[in-house]
Amino acid sequence: MGLLVLTGVVSLGWWMVRDPVSEFVTSEPGMDNRGAGAVIADIDIGAYFESMKVVESSLQESWPRFRGASYDNICRSPIPLIESFPKEGPRIKWKVEMGEGYAAAAIYKGFVYVLDYDETERADVLRCFSLEEGTELWRRGYYINLKRNHGMSRTIPAVSDDYVVTIGPRNHVMCVRRQDGAFVWGLNVEKEFKSEIPQWYSGQCPLIDRNRAIIATGGSALVVAVDLASGDILWETPNEQQWLVSHSSIMPFEFQGTNMYVYSASGGVCGIAADGPEEGTILWETRAWNHLVVAPSPVCLPDGKIFLTAGYGAGSMVLQLSKSGSGFSVDVLQEYAPREGLACEQQTPVVFEGHLLGILPKDAGPLRNQLVCVHPDDFTKVIWSSGSDKRFGLGPYMIADNKLFIVNDDATLTIARPGTSKYIELDSYRVLEDGRDAWGPIAVADGYLIMRDATTMVCLDMARER
Amino acid sequence: MEKKDKGYNRRDFINNGIRLALGATVAGTAAFTLSRSATGKDYVWQIDPFKCTQCGRCATECVRSESAVKCVHAFDLCGYCDVCSGYLKPGAKLETGAENQLCPTAAIQRKYIEEPYFEYIIDEELCIGCGKCVKGCSAFGNGSLHLQIRHDLCLNCNQCSIAASCPSDAISRVPADEPYLIKGDFTKGEEKG
Repeated sequence: MGLLVLTGVVSLGWWMVRDPVSEFVTSEPGMDNRGAGAVIADIDIGAYFESMKVVESSLQESWPRFRGASYDNICRSPIPLIESFPKEGPRIKWKVEMGEGYAAAAIYKGFVYVLDYDETERADVLRCFSLEEGTELWRRGYYINLKRNHGMSRTIPAVSDDYVVTIGPRNHVMCVRRQDGAFVWGLNVEKEFKSEIPQWYSGQCPLIDRNRAIIATGGSALVVAVDLASGDILWETPNEQQWLVSHSSIMPFEFQGTNMYVYSASGGVCGIAADGPEEGTILWETRAWNHLVVAPSPVCLPDGKIFLTAGYGAGSMVLQLSKSGSGFSVDVLQEYAPREGLACEQQTPVVFEGHLLGILPKDAGPLRNQLVCVHPDDFTKVIWSSGSDKRFGLGPYMIADNKLFIVNDDATLTIARPGTSKYIELDSYRVLEDGRDAWGPIAVADGYLIMRDATTMVCLDMARER
Repeated sequence: MEKKDKGYNRRDFINNGIRLALGATVAGTAAFTLSRSATGKDYVWQIDPFKCTQCGRCATECVRSESAVKCVHAFDLCGYCDVCSGYLKPGAKLETGAENQLCPTAAIQRKYIEEPYFEYIIDEELCIGCGKCVKGCSAFGNGSLHLQIRHDLCLNCNQCSIAASCPSDAISRVPADEPYLIKGDFTKGEEKG
């Protein structure tokens, strides 16, 4: 009996003293030994230059920036384009090797501009080609040591009659003279505004509006306007909420007589006065849309709806902008998960006859990776989808000559008829045999279509007659 | 009464039965051995990572506790990103706090390598094969995280209970001399090396 009591007492003591979770390890912040971040380098922007050839061009059409002249990814050229490929495939005018990435072309009156990363020279270089021949004419850039981080390059230059403005992977802004690549000015955003580089490098495409470049900086200012001729900062939008720059690009929007720049930052979304006495000040803002990684740009609709979307499970949000007295107010109309309606991870949807068209992400359930068209009054109402046998990836899509051009990850180019009742595919062809990560947006001008995959840019002659 | 000689009594019946059973056993064993030596193949169960839909049943349907299914990492496919959708919950902070981690057992170790790279290592002792990380990695990343049946843990049941419940028919028998279906090229590289 005594032994039993003794055993019980010892067991109870052991049970009370023993720590059953002594081998547990708590997961706390900082266990990954994250570094302090890269040292901000002094970069001599514009130091690199190479001139190869001088040619003239009589072509007049342009695709001067990300999403084209009207910021809507619709080409309004009257030149008829093919709606099916010849048996041997599309007419390839030229092909050029690129540094690994997703940077895409802008076209201006017969010349192609693309900010590439030259892996041999270790330099961001703005390359100028002739549109018709693909001949490289000049390169302007700066030496910078970049590590591969899902590619290196990922932006599109903005081009005006006189200037080309670029934003590099580490937020170096460069302005050059369009005709010959002469260096005009540079801006090291990370250094000057003490801002952070977005994950996987900057995806923001610059905006040229009148005589100024509009750049989202993050850090000590949210957005700045830079005079194209002098490089002087004309105004800075205060960044009181310390929002970070995203991959999204600034979209101009005219709403009820007020011109504004709509920017979807990492932290929130806002409208900034684009002209008048309040130019550069925030007209409205909301933190309701706040995601770490935002790549698509806002889609602003004439009735004041603003469609916002992002990947990584974020889904989408629809804001309703209203004029209230002398100011603006903004309300959340819809917010939903990717499987509940239109959502996009990388590309920005296109508006066709008031309807939004876009490719759903992988986490969109049964409609994943399909092109869908949603109802203009309810972006969760899918009117049509491309079908389970026609899925796409993260590649771009745009409209030209009333045809929808869609690039799949493997550089397959699909031509479809845009519509609001059903998906009508016309033809498709794999343009680059070993194509991969063909995510750079399409540019179309004068009947030529420029697309790319991770390492090759290709110019297709898509004109029905030439 | 004259005793009738049946010529085939109960003892003979039992003796013959035993001989027949022994003979059948020997013949069967011989046939089995011959058939194996003819094909030279043993087979084991394995997951095809390209068919797997990360339903989560691998964690619960295996006869073993914990499951013989573990997450493996094809480092040659990984982007070594700071934002890792296989490690972090959607919208989580970019740090190692438990509240940010997708893995319910903290089986993925995240280590800073150099700007901007982070390495993700699976602690198989902790991994329960739930596939949550694989789902995240497949949806937004390069798909470098994927599930495999570990043959040091698998009992190689005649009928794999996970295979029976797999909704995407991702589990099948594969030759035992190539027992893993690893994504990427790094295992082939080892063989070459």
